[in-house]
Amino acid sequence: MIKGLYAAASAMLAGVTRQKNLAHNAANMDTPGFKETLSSLAEFMKTAVVYPPGNITQDPQQMYLGNIGLGVENSPLTTDFSEGPLNQTGHPYDLAITGPGFFRIRTPDGERYTRDGRFVRDASGGLVTLDGYQVLNKNGQPIKLPEGDFRVGEDGTITVGGKTAGQIGLAAFKDPQAELEMDANNHFKAKGSPTSTTVGRVEQGYLESSNVNSAQLMTQMISVARSYEAAQKMVQNTDQLLGETISSLGKIA
Amino acid sequence: MADSLFQILNISQQDMLSRLLDLDVTSNNVANINTIGFKRNRANFQELLQQKQQSGVYMQPTQILPDQGSMTTTTNPLDLSITGEGYFQVRLPGGGTGYTRDGRFSLDASHRIVNANGYPLVWQGQIPADSEEVQVQANGFVFSRVGNTWTQVGTIQVANFLNPTALQIDGSNTYLATPASGTARIGVPGTTNLGQIKSYTVEQSNVNMANEMTHMIQLQRSFQIASKTFQQTDTMISEAIEMRR
Repeated sequence: MIKGLYAAASAMLAGVTRQKNLAHNAANMDTPGFKETLSSLAEFMKTAVVYPPGNITQDPQQMYLGNIGLGVENSPLTTDFSEGPLNQTGHPYDLAITGPGFFRIRTPDGERYTRDGRFVRDASGGLVTLDGYQVLNKNGQPIKLPEGDFRVGEDGTITVGGKTAGQIGLAAFKDPQAELEMDANNHFKAKGSPTSTTVGRVEQGYLESSNVNSAQLMTQMISVARSYEAAQKMVQNTDQLLGETISSLGKIA
Repeated sequence: MADSLFQILNISQQDMLSRLLDLDVTSNNVANINTIGFKRNRANFQELLQQKQQSGVYMQPTQILPDQGSMTTTTNPLDLSITGEGYFQVRLPGGGTGYTRDGRFSLDASHRIVNANGYPLVWQGQIPADSEEVQVQANGFVFSRVGNTWTQVGTIQVANFLNPTALQIDGSNTYLATPASGTARIGVPGTTNLGQIKSYTVEQSNVNMANEMTHMIQLQRSFQIASKTFQQTDTMISEAIEMRR
């Protein structure tokens, strides 16, 4: 019976983690380039159920009855890398990628990858992200922009005032779910080097909206609410049964 | 590490606060839809991960999006607009230099060129006291007429920044330079990377009503979802407490 109590409690804890994931996705519904994270549940360890010897059947052997699950746990979060819709902003320093590529950016901790194309030309002429990280060109070097009209072609070629000023570097991964991990603020860390050459096209004046689906999110939230409630009721029921066991068993009528 | 329900409340709270800030920015854009020379602002949401833990959203600095507004013709020769990049420089009451795209200038009693707020335009020259008419050319040359004679009395130069999206809003449609915007680069209108001055026109605000309204609807829905999430987390906390009867 104690097993049941912990199994129900594990379902409540799993519900909390799922709720946190949903709250995080909801909070980033309007974050450009954001990729929603998906939570999933896995069965916790199992244990064998045995009857002790000499029970009911008078059998002197332990009797194996099968396995019982001990509850549920959260599997590691996975990121949904599907493309979000493009949103026209008309701002020349807003870039979006159609296709599987990522912008390469340089952070103090090393090269990172992002789909968030809100860039600015900083006070020293460098092309940087809103966080101030340098955007890298196809050779992995920072991009320096002269003054003038900033244009970006579909292949990432930058022209400023009619003169070529480098090419935005894009990186792509064959299996981003396996090769990338969440790092910080909307960018990802790769476990190895980029593995794909199909990067897609750069669109100037657009931003990729977050790929959070609000209808799906609300549906999942209802399911979390109900599972949590059910688990809570199970804890209460098990508690009640335990209480009755303690108070009525062994009582001589 | 087990997640705490109270931390989830914080995520949703931050979510709602961010939407409210976005609402402020959007309402300010809508309020200035008819303000001459106004540039729309954008609130920037960013994902917040702390030690790789999902922590919701935070606001990055709001940007000014300096794209060109449309032009309207007027009858005042000192109504100036800039086609292309650049800002008029005005002397602020405190003595500093402000930058603006609002080019509704006029002559004050002491023959200074002042804008609608009374801030004097920073330019090289002087309007003679007996001037009967003033004209401004695309390259910023200012001419004054006395009788039948036109003479050049000075030039208006414009300022530009490497990162005009990071200018600081000083109110009254005036911006200040910041370390992030870079220092002002001043030059003759129409030369490299500086726009031309157009007399008898003013630049309309670059706010697009349809975009702002769409954004506001979206924002309202995001807020609703945030508040629902908050409520649900609260219910979960209450259920956890109620477990013990």
